Amino acid sequence: MTPRKHCVLVMMASLIVTMALPSTAQIPLHEFEQALHSIPVAQVDSMLGAIELGLNQPDFPAESLLRLIDRMARRPAPAIEREAVLVVITQAIEEGLPIEGMVDKAFEGLARNVPMAQLEDGLRQLRTLLAEVRDLLYARGVFSAAPGTQSAVANVLPNTRFNLLVVHISEAIDDYLSGGGSPFEGHLLYQEVHERLVQLEGVILDSEDVALVLERIDPSDLTQVALTAVS
Amino acid sequence: MTTDRLEDLLRSTLRAEAKAAEDRIADLEERVLLEIEERRPRLLWHEWLRQLLAPTASSRFGQLVVVGATAAIFLFVGIGISSNLLRHDDAAPKLSLQPVRFADGTQEVLFVLPALNAENVAVVGNFNSWEETALSDQDGDGIWTASIPLPPGRYEYAFLIDGRWWGQDPQADDWVQSFGQFSSVRYIGRGGEDV
Repeated sequence: MTPRKHCVLVMMASLIVTMALPSTAQIPLHEFEQALHSIPVAQVDSMLGAIELGLNQPDFPAESLLRLIDRMARRPAPAIEREAVLVVITQAIEEGLPIEGMVDKAFEGLARNVPMAQLEDGLRQLRTLLAEVRDLLYARGVFSAAPGTQSAVANVLPNTRFNLLVVHISEAIDDYLSGGGSPFEGHLLYQEVHERLVQLEGVILDSEDVALVLERIDPSDLTQVALTAVS
Repeated sequence: MTTDRLEDLLRSTLRAEAKAAEDRIADLEERVLLEIEERRPRLLWHEWLRQLLAPTASSRFGQLVVVGATAAIFLFVGIGISSNLLRHDDAAPKLSLQPVRFADGTQEVLFVLPALNAENVAVVGNFNSWEETALSDQDGDGIWTASIPLPPGRYEYAFLIDGRWWGQDPQADDWVQSFGQFSSVRYIGRGGEDV
């Protein structure tokens, strides 16, 4: 290899590394620790353990979570109430649930000056829905492939696609229940979920994934999920 | 017969003849002109066209004049139209009811809210972590607008009018209730369009 070629290769490699750096750059754990201390919270270690777990996941919304903790720290409410809200989120991280929707709901609650107890209840309901919907999909034979692995099987979806389905089904049920809908009206719940998924089909959800899920779940499944969330 | 008498006789005879022909020469000039006008050769349109196309030096010059004049008119009109369009682009605010789309699927989404007596209007939603993005009303007509680039997806939002929440945007695709209050919903990018 000539020195010129070598030089070009080194430059290209440097460029690739430089371009890749921002995407792999992660918020260091001590920033979360600092933010949690400023609330302050009692269960720092367990919360940091959960966050550390999340930081190893590919689509973990680290920046949003840190921003939420910072905003919580500025909120004039008893520290124990603010901690309870964050505990619900960190528990969801420990359970391996996608937390983007929960973080967003917390931001909304803070913006609307919702009392901390009400915010905690709202997040708890959403966390239950996320877990129940994920379990429902597993039970109906829709699985997620571990991050980084490829699957040629139609019902084993890449983790990101699987999580998007879980999030949107859960949020559709959450919106339905928050709007005063009855969990016993399974067909209405199904309609709500169907509408949400179809609206996002081909936009952020894969059409095949939507078809697969809608084929495998039925109204009675969703009634069961909703009942668990409100109980 | 003397010479004088002969002249008198001739004069009187001529006068008599002129008198007799007086009615026939009264409008002679007009009739002659009319006759000339009728007999004048006319240049018909097909003859004019033939002349224009004829390969003579004079007609070639005529062709050049006609083509040049046409080109000049088109150029003038074209420049006028394009300069008007450019001026329109510069003057118009970068807001449109038709969403502007970028290559990555992101769209400039227009948020519009009529709030006649408002002093401050903002939009909050899951695209800005529920932190205020101000709407503007530059011409003071009470129509507040903001254009926000959003990637495809589902967005919940509400307006803040002088600090009061307004979650039922008539332009929304849907409304949902959260924490007992309404939020508006927009789907961006469905079928490549803002729905």
